[in-house]
Amino acid sequence: MEAKKKTVKKRILGVIILAVLILLAAICYYLFTNSGKKDGLEFGQIQQTLPEPAAALSNGTTDTSKTLEGHTLVAENDLYELYLYEPALSIIVRNKSTGAVMESTIRDNEKLANVNETWKGFLQSGVVVELQEETNTIQKKIGLEASGASVTVDQIPGGFHAKIDYTAQELGFELEVKLYDDGSITAYIPENSIYENAANKKIGNIYLFPLLGHTRLGEVDGYMFVPDGNGALIYLDDKEGRFDSGYVQKVYSSDIGVGESYVLSLLWDKYETHNDAEQVLAPVFGMVHTKDRIGYLAVIESGEEEASIYATPNGAYSEYNWVTASFRKCATYIQPTSNSGGSVTKVTDRIGYDIKIRYLFVDGEEADYAGLAKRYREYLIEKGELTQKEDEFKVRLDFLGMDVENWMMWKKAVPVTTVDNIREIYADLEAAGVTDILTQYKGWQDGGIYDIPVMSVDVDDSIGGKKELLKLMEESEKKGIDFYLYTDAIRANPETGNTTFDTVKKMDKRLYEEQNYKNVYDTFVFWTPQKSYDNLVKLENSLKKNNINNLALSGISNTLFTYTLGDLMQTRSVSKYLYEQALAKLDEDMTLLLESPAACYWSYTKAMTDMPVADSDYIYTDQSVPFLSIALKGLVPMYGDYVNFEANEKEYFLKLVETGIYPSFYLTWEDPSDLIYTNSSDVYSSEYNVYRDQIIDYYKELKEVNEAVNGSFIIGHKAMDNGLTVVTYDNGVSIYINYSESDITADGVTVPALAYQIVAGGVR
Amino acid sequence: MKKKIRNILLRSCALVVCFILMAGMTASADTPYKTYTIDGYGYVLETQSAYNPLAAITKVGETSFVNPVDMAISKEGNLYIADAGAHVILVSNLKGEQVGMIGEGILQTPTGVYVAEDGTVYVADKDAKKVFVFDKQGNLTAEYGKPTSPIYGNSMDFKPSKVVANKTGTMYIICEGNMNGIVQLSPVEGGSFLGYFGTNYTSLSPFQMLQRLILTDAQRAQMLSNIPSTPTNLHIDDTGLIYTVTQGDQDMSLKKLNIAGKNLLDSDPYWADLPAAVTTGQYHNILVADSDGYIYEYNEEGELLFMFGGRDDGRQRIGLCNKVEAIAVDDNDRIYLLDSDKKQIHVFEPTEFTNLLHESLYLFSKGQYTASKEPLSKVLQMNSMFYYANQAMGHAYLQEENYDEALKYFRLAKSFDGYSDAFWEVRNIWIRNYLVYAVAAIILVIAAYKGAKKVYIAKHGSVEKVDITHRSDLGAQLRYCLHFMRHPMDGCYGVKREGKASWACANILLAAFILISIIEKYFSGFLVKNVREGRYDILTDIGSVLIIFIGLTLCNYLVVTINEGEGFFKELYCAYAYCLTPFIVIKPFVILISNVLTYNEVFLIPFANIVVWVWMLVLILLTLKEINNFTVKETAKALAITAFTVLILSLLVCIIYVLFSQVIDFVVTVIREVVYRIGS
Repeated sequence: MEAKKKTVKKRILGVIILAVLILLAAICYYLFTNSGKKDGLEFGQIQQTLPEPAAALSNGTTDTSKTLEGHTLVAENDLYELYLYEPALSIIVRNKSTGAVMESTIRDNEKLANVNETWKGFLQSGVVVELQEETNTIQKKIGLEASGASVTVDQIPGGFHAKIDYTAQELGFELEVKLYDDGSITAYIPENSIYENAANKKIGNIYLFPLLGHTRLGEVDGYMFVPDGNGALIYLDDKEGRFDSGYVQKVYSSDIGVGESYVLSLLWDKYETHNDAEQVLAPVFGMVHTKDRIGYLAVIESGEEEASIYATPNGAYSEYNWVTASFRKCATYIQPTSNSGGSVTKVTDRIGYDIKIRYLFVDGEEADYAGLAKRYREYLIEKGELTQKEDEFKVRLDFLGMDVENWMMWKKAVPVTTVDNIREIYADLEAAGVTDILTQYKGWQDGGIYDIPVMSVDVDDSIGGKKELLKLMEESEKKGIDFYLYTDAIRANPETGNTTFDTVKKMDKRLYEEQNYKNVYDTFVFWTPQKSYDNLVKLENSLKKNNINNLALSGISNTLFTYTLGDLMQTRSVSKYLYEQALAKLDEDMTLLLESPAACYWSYTKAMTDMPVADSDYIYTDQSVPFLSIALKGLVPMYGDYVNFEANEKEYFLKLVETGIYPSFYLTWEDPSDLIYTNSSDVYSSEYNVYRDQIIDYYKELKEVNEAVNGSFIIGHKAMDNGLTVVTYDNGVSIYINYSESDITADGVTVPALAYQIVAGGVR
Repeated sequence: MKKKIRNILLRSCALVVCFILMAGMTASADTPYKTYTIDGYGYVLETQSAYNPLAAITKVGETSFVNPVDMAISKEGNLYIADAGAHVILVSNLKGEQVGMIGEGILQTPTGVYVAEDGTVYVADKDAKKVFVFDKQGNLTAEYGKPTSPIYGNSMDFKPSKVVANKTGTMYIICEGNMNGIVQLSPVEGGSFLGYFGTNYTSLSPFQMLQRLILTDAQRAQMLSNIPSTPTNLHIDDTGLIYTVTQGDQDMSLKKLNIAGKNLLDSDPYWADLPAAVTTGQYHNILVADSDGYIYEYNEEGELLFMFGGRDDGRQRIGLCNKVEAIAVDDNDRIYLLDSDKKQIHVFEPTEFTNLLHESLYLFSKGQYTASKEPLSKVLQMNSMFYYANQAMGHAYLQEENYDEALKYFRLAKSFDGYSDAFWEVRNIWIRNYLVYAVAAIILVIAAYKGAKKVYIAKHGSVEKVDITHRSDLGAQLRYCLHFMRHPMDGCYGVKREGKASWACANILLAAFILISIIEKYFSGFLVKNVREGRYDILTDIGSVLIIFIGLTLCNYLVVTINEGEGFFKELYCAYAYCLTPFIVIKPFVILISNVLTYNEVFLIPFANIVVWVWMLVLILLTLKEINNFTVKETAKALAITAFTVLILSLLVCIIYVLFSQVIDFVVTVIREVVYRIGS
């Protein structure tokens, strides 16, 4: 009897265990199947066709016996001639009317007497490969002639086609260079022409015409243009050996997936004291010889997400000034093998993408940075990447709804701007004459601004709840206020949601964690682009259900990374492709507002927010220029960083006048000291009552300025040595901005100290 | 006034000049570093950029730096850079153009340089073991070697690393390896030794003291010696005050010493970790440079205004440094920072925000409080939590005798002394205006009460005294607590034998206790309050009182039951609740009074608190004894065991908590791992 009971008990136990196991398996399966798109993407799937320039190919008959400094003529049109020296793939571009040339290598060996062999190869080749041998972390530069690479050149219509074989390294690729009638030259290396036959030798980086337009010391007047912030120049003067390196920046943010790590130093082990440098938003660089009146703007048309822009002044490495882009074809990373610090260096597979640069040459009056910017604007319009958008002056008033602070074992809501508050602010401003407003509402979702991702319209009760918010949005629409709900589309908060799946693992297959040294949530992770896509689709459905059509997104707009999915490497091109897909899908029925978007997404945004007005102040840059502003003003509305946090208010205001960027304010109804224990503790000045008068002043003054030039393009920009800057628009209006502390008279216009003057056409 | 106008004129001229020099350079909107300040509670918070990076001097004329280690700025606006590697002092203007070179062939390792007002240059040379003095033209006029005075010590080496001199030419020299302090050297008779100055002292921690008591001499000799640190760098201002910074001195790394060597600054938690240099600006503001590239700005009291900057980790941006050696400020308030690792001088320019603050510092130090309000209010508009601005605003209003406004700003700044002073005035005015009416009102009330009583007695005969000793309804029970408070032994008898207590009554008392303690916490006068303004955490307050009270009672009950105590849980609970009565009765008055007290009378509050708590303690002890019918000895025993039980209980709770969270952690990890394996 007793024994029987025992066996029954055992059986029951067995059944229970079995049931639990089945249940577990079912849960796992459920989670597994619901964890977003799991398939990785490869180059073939995301390959996009590269359109040719709109201008005709310069394929008329050319006199191939004509030579210039050992180079033979390979293509010409009415404006330019293209010469080639085959063994080194060195090109010379010559302006026919002025005779000005830009060379791409240094042929004079005597000038390179002090340069070592590696750099010599770099300075003397049209194409340079950095070789990745085994897992060496230092890549060797190999040029063409000295390394014994074989170069086979065929003439093709409008240019040449070269097959390059590095026989010793068993790798190679093909290059195609063409001249077009509008003065642009394209250089193209297709992915499928690349081969790497040796097991331990790979292409690390490729440089295309790294020395195009180079100058020696201070011999030629001019500058290099780099896309740092709004734009910056490095003068071609003799730097007297002051710098041992130059500008290097990855296009569209650094790559978190391959751990470009640096030692972080914290003040008192607690406070992060560094601000990040400005990102490269547009894949462009340039060189201008001002005296010879020749220059070019290089636009990276393909492979920009893997490109880094280099601008090296003389004194660093050699006596030459050169600006170029390098294209990463593989990367090394550290794979930890134990928790105690053991690790091995590994090399990624080849990163698949086509390389294409288009050099847009300018001459005469256009050979300055404003000319480059205009050329870029024309380029964007030609490519259809940017169509002229509705561009009415508006003041951007962003509101922070709520954040949370730690409270006993839970989080407590800290509402600082409720829906009612916003309504009141709108009414107050309307009475003061401020009617053209654009708003991003941050921290509206349940759980506050850092309760991300947001996948549905779930409004926090502490700011008034969903019904109230929808009502406010309806009212705003009637008033003509652009009201956007804001969210970060890339980050995930491990404390508020399940982030076990679909979060970004770096190349070393470890989870990527972003530390922010804040009070409540100190770590964020990133969604995989696949999951971001899913999240955005869910959010879109929910927004549509509630008749909301406006959405402001950050994160997704300027972050790209390499990551792993399963065992597959997913490149930055994959992130770019998927984000673009997501934005394109949202753009179909919604109006999007992207925070300082990378150039590849410009066509999806209604306006640019957080546009930098200046550069990052690198030690080697000489002047900050509003390149992006000149290119984009009149094409798409731009909104600057928040005025609240500017220490030089007067100067910043003048910058807004100069760049045509619209002002932005970050507002709360309550005193921001309420936020001291939240993650938003860096918002230290934002109370509406404090900023009310300033908003009204800025609005009135800047509206006047921008109405004078509404819909016009900038055609000229000059910064003079005495602190006066003149911006000229194509409707004849000029704006004189005086940054100095004394009145300045120029062209018959007197501009008071720290002020500006609008001069309508013809007054001169 | 004349002087002021000239000052302003000079300054604006200088501004124009420098603008021409720096033309074409526009400050960037985004600095490479964040700027922090502190709010009234001492919380560090970000603020608008105080100084923007302007330029970097990488060369003086054609000469690159070899190993620049010190820098000084002359009244004429020239930079004197001591280059230990090039064995010279380079003289450059503020643009970086060379205007001279001093000490060629004379200097060996110049590590310190100082330029006096008249252009005399003092150079400390470590390897030549001398201080050299040059005239304005760069001619050597004097040199001073090791002092011959026996007080200096024969065995003590003389390796000057930094030097400053006051107006009479007395030199203050920091010597490498000399722990005695700053060497004070008079120029008379070829350098007579005046003594040591500004010596740092070491302090012993209690643990170290214990060690010294216990350890043998041999063991003590093996320990790290406790030698005071030598100051790292020093500075002298126009008034002759000496500023020193010391690395490795945790509490007092910055000192402001008067001529007698007395430190004028209080200890402050916002000192630099690795201070490398110190200087003062024209508003008596003190600037300290950290070796890691941070810059701290203080006002003359040593209160932190800003900190900003940081290490350059390959960012190559102007404003980030690797190893700072010297700091200097010019007449336009620009900061020059010498980086010996990058071999550059970084130049920072004050922003509009900082100019406003400096203006107010200037006006404030001149006593023009009313005028200083304008820039201050602009500063506050940009950052309403800025500690210094709120405090200065308070002082300005106090001087103007606008006490209500002063009160408001002192409260924002959490400046207790200022608040107390302002409040004293406000109260004084109130008393002057209303004292007569108040006294009259009180007299009226008393008279009315007496009158009413008389009328009542006339109608009903004598007033019946309500006898509660025989009643036991809730009202009576509540009133009984007053009796309990005065006669605890009798009271305990009542609780135990006469049913004078009930759960309801005890709970009401407990609730009252909680309520009053909350009111005390949040609504006491500003001067005695310990919590942050505007922060409420009432659930925690309630919870903690309940847990402590019930926990203690429970532990106590457990202990007395095994110690032959006669009390039941209910009796103990109720009696202990009655013990809270003094708090409930007295505290409301204390809270009320605390709202009208200044620092002059604030001693009343702790005094009242001591009375309340001692009273309650006595009641509790007597209750424990009486309810359980213990002897004194038994009471003491029960008390000790209760304390022990409480300890064990809290330990137990901790262990359970830790174990439980471990289990949860484990389960979560396992699930995640399983999910991860399947998922990827």
